[in-house]
Amino acid sequence: MYQPLLTSRYLMTRMIPLLAVAAVALCVALVIVVISVMTGFLDMIRSSGQTLMGDVVITYPIRGIPYYDSLISTLEQEQDVKAATPVVDTWGLLRMPYPVGDAKESEQVQIWGIDPQSFSQVTGFAETLKWSEIPADTAANMRWDRMQQLAPTLVANLDLDARVRLLQQSAADEVGDAEPSVIRQLAANATRDDLARRLLHLAWQPDALRLVIGDEAMAAIDSHDPRLGERGLVAEEGRTLQRGGRAAIVSGLHVSKANERKSTGEYDISGGGYWWMPNHEATLTTLPIDSRGGLLDPKSIVLPFANEFASGVFLIDQTRIMVPLQIVQDLTNLDSADIVDPDDPTQVVGHVPAKATMILVRGQDGIDPVSLRSLVQTSYRRFQDACIEAGQSVPRLDRDPGLRILTWEEQNASFIGPVEKERELMRTLFSIVYLVCGALIVAIFWAIVYEKTRDIGILRSIGASRMGIVWIFLLYGLFVGVFGALAGICLGWLVTVNMPAIHEQMSSPPMWLGIALLVVAAGLLLWTISKYRGGQLLPVLLGTLGVLILAGLGAGELVLRSSGGIVLWDPAVYYFTDVPDAVDWPSAWITAAGAVICSVVAAAIPAARAADIDPVGALRYE
Amino acid sequence: MSSPLLEAHDLHKTYRLGQVDVPVLKGCSLAVSRGEWLAVLGSSGSGKSTLLHLLGGLDRPDSGRGEIRHEGQPLEGRSARAFDRYRAQTVGFVFQFYHLLPELTVLENAMLPGLVPGGIGAAPARRRVSNLLDRFGLSHRLNHRPRELSGGERQRTAIARALANDPQILLADEPTGNLDAHTGAEILDLLAEAHQSGLTIVMVTHDQQIADRADRDCRLVDGVLSVAEGTEPAPLA
Ligand SMILES: Nc1ncnc2c1ncn2[C@@H]1O[C@H](COP(=O)(O)OP(=O)(O)OP(=O)(O)O)[C@@H](O)[C@H]1O
Ligand SMILES: [Mg+2]
Repeated sequence: MYQPLLTSRYLMTRMIPLLAVAAVALCVALVIVVISVMTGFLDMIRSSGQTLMGDVVITYPIRGIPYYDSLISTLEQEQDVKAATPVVDTWGLLRMPYPVGDAKESEQVQIWGIDPQSFSQVTGFAETLKWSEIPADTAANMRWDRMQQLAPTLVANLDLDARVRLLQQSAADEVGDAEPSVIRQLAANATRDDLARRLLHLAWQPDALRLVIGDEAMAAIDSHDPRLGERGLVAEEGRTLQRGGRAAIVSGLHVSKANERKSTGEYDISGGGYWWMPNHEATLTTLPIDSRGGLLDPKSIVLPFANEFASGVFLIDQTRIMVPLQIVQDLTNLDSADIVDPDDPTQVVGHVPAKATMILVRGQDGIDPVSLRSLVQTSYRRFQDACIEAGQSVPRLDRDPGLRILTWEEQNASFIGPVEKERELMRTLFSIVYLVCGALIVAIFWAIVYEKTRDIGILRSIGASRMGIVWIFLLYGLFVGVFGALAGICLGWLVTVNMPAIHEQMSSPPMWLGIALLVVAAGLLLWTISKYRGGQLLPVLLGTLGVLILAGLGAGELVLRSSGGIVLWDPAVYYFTDVPDAVDWPSAWITAAGAVICSVVAAAIPAARAADIDPVGALRYE
Repeated sequence: MSSPLLEAHDLHKTYRLGQVDVPVLKGCSLAVSRGEWLAVLGSSGSGKSTLLHLLGGLDRPDSGRGEIRHEGQPLEGRSARAFDRYRAQTVGFVFQFYHLLPELTVLENAMLPGLVPGGIGAAPARRRVSNLLDRFGLSHRLNHRPRELSGGERQRTAIARALANDPQILLADEPTGNLDAHTGAEILDLLAEAHQSGLTIVMVTHDQQIADRADRDCRLVDGVLSVAEGTEPAPLA
């Protein structure tokens, strides 16, 4: 086999094939990054489905499904059904607690009335709760307020030892290595105002504060809000939709404008933690609709916030709030009620049951949603038959067009479908990039074959066959393809897993990058000028182009930086707050294999030309 | 006398230049016996190289007009693969312009025929050409690239390459044409040495003095081979 020897020598002794390798690598990396982000996006949509809605949904909007408790127990008799839960959904206005003053802001919200316990079994609700305890800044604020009221007593209760501890904690740098006796002297002489001031500062260091004033005084400070003392209470209140025993709201994290997402993905609460929603209340107003679709009088209720949830789906986190089922049933007139005689309102003639507009069903692990859906359909028919037998009227499957039983994906088909199509379109479009790559390889190899005509004649003269010549260039294409694909996979992987970081950098591009680019451009400029003296045109041309490109990039970067960067992944556009960062490996390998095949096929064209070279003609002259 | 190793009968070769046919060989016949050194004399453009390419299976005569036989068996009609084998195993070419591959070292160039299908294989070829190159005084040049070599050194490398697969016949196309008289003589000494050890050589040249080194010479004039004075016509078939 002489081909590997020649192929490797041809590769090593010239730069141009590196261009082909780089082109292949860039194409592969590009496709991997684009497809991975799209796939990550689809996966997010898919997994968010279960988190938000379970597997299968029975919906009957506005009028609602009555006797849902017996429907749920019918469903839960099925072995493959893990849990089911009733939901009432409607729209409303939430009058937010901010700003200070009477002119409060209102947000339009989608209200979900839920039974928190069963809802958590069907969905991932409990895991999406944002706050497990009061955020540090908020807690400090709360303690500070309280301590201001208590300051005189607190200070009066400080004995000399406590005062010394206070000085050590709050003024470490002032009294640092002073003699203990000196510190004692300072502590004894400190004014009450000074001590109070120092004590208040410790609101931000609860551990230090506890050390100074002791457990008892600490308990006194925290007593006005049990959540300060009791760990896990905030999460517990979120799970049960109540605060201090009152029914409460758990709102999406982006409903409140006080939660500001930082580019690191963490959240700042405005007002130094003051506008932490679970410390406030809001007024919820709905416009109930009667069974004929007419509007009834608006209903309002004041509810505290218990917690906030972050599902990761921006659209949901921005608009949805969770409220106890009973309350939303009241607000939408879907609660249970007596029917009275219109002539004599004291006379009860019947009873309407409470209703739910949705029943969410979760299958056991490993049950696919489609088979779960047919299971739910049979269960519903059984429920429907039993109701009819008992003389109760319920919406009927196939008769009431409003009643639908859908998997999560079907429910959101209008959303998932286009994204899937988009991904395939991207794949196709970006595959065209390979044609460019292939054309480049054809051109480069064509030139090499031309240059190597004589070598081919020599090889034929020593007995090499046409196919043998073809193999030299196929192998060449294979090398270019494999190296390019491997480099492309590495590059694509690096870019994809660093996507969030890169994305963050783009929204605030680092200063050093622009400066570094400009410095390199300046260096290249000097080099170009020196070459210009030498009188050669090619280095001057390349140098000039390089300087222009680098300087352009550097200046562009600095301009971008000064104008605040660009946010590519705007959660409001892409629905998700996080940027996907996992490589879609099956697609990556297919892409790489495609690149290798493409390179070999492209190389076959010049290879065939090489095989057709007439050896006699090739050997004729030097 | 045993049957000739290589024979040509009534070879015709015509090139097409656009619309015009250019006949170069118009009925060439020759016979080369085993172990013989034959020189073909001819002026520039007379078709010497063409003849050699035909004998070496690198090119074909006009179809149906002439025949080449190796050990009595006609080449015509053989498969492309058989032609490749013939070039790899039976003949070795030496060219006026050396024709070494610039990316390969002296050793790699010389052993290259061992690597093609039908060659003797990498390791035997390496042994054999190392030996030859040593004898040719190139042992200190094994890892040099052709461009670092003088013309004589290059031609010696080319001869080692032609002999790599231990062929029966060496086809030399003006092997000294690009060299000064002294270096040329050295190259001819090498050929003579190889001939001594039994190699059959067909050498083309336009120089009578060089042709004199051969056992026998003939002249290519007007596309036909004529026997030069003082030599016996080779018996045909
Ligand atoms: N591929 C070709 N197409 C057209 N004409 C050709 C071709 N090859 C050779 N010829 C012509 O055939 C003739 C013989 O060429 P050839 O190379 O065999 O001559 P030569 O005797 O080896 O000459 P030299 O001593 O210059 O090497 C020349 O006139 C040449 O122009
Ligand atoms: Mg010639």
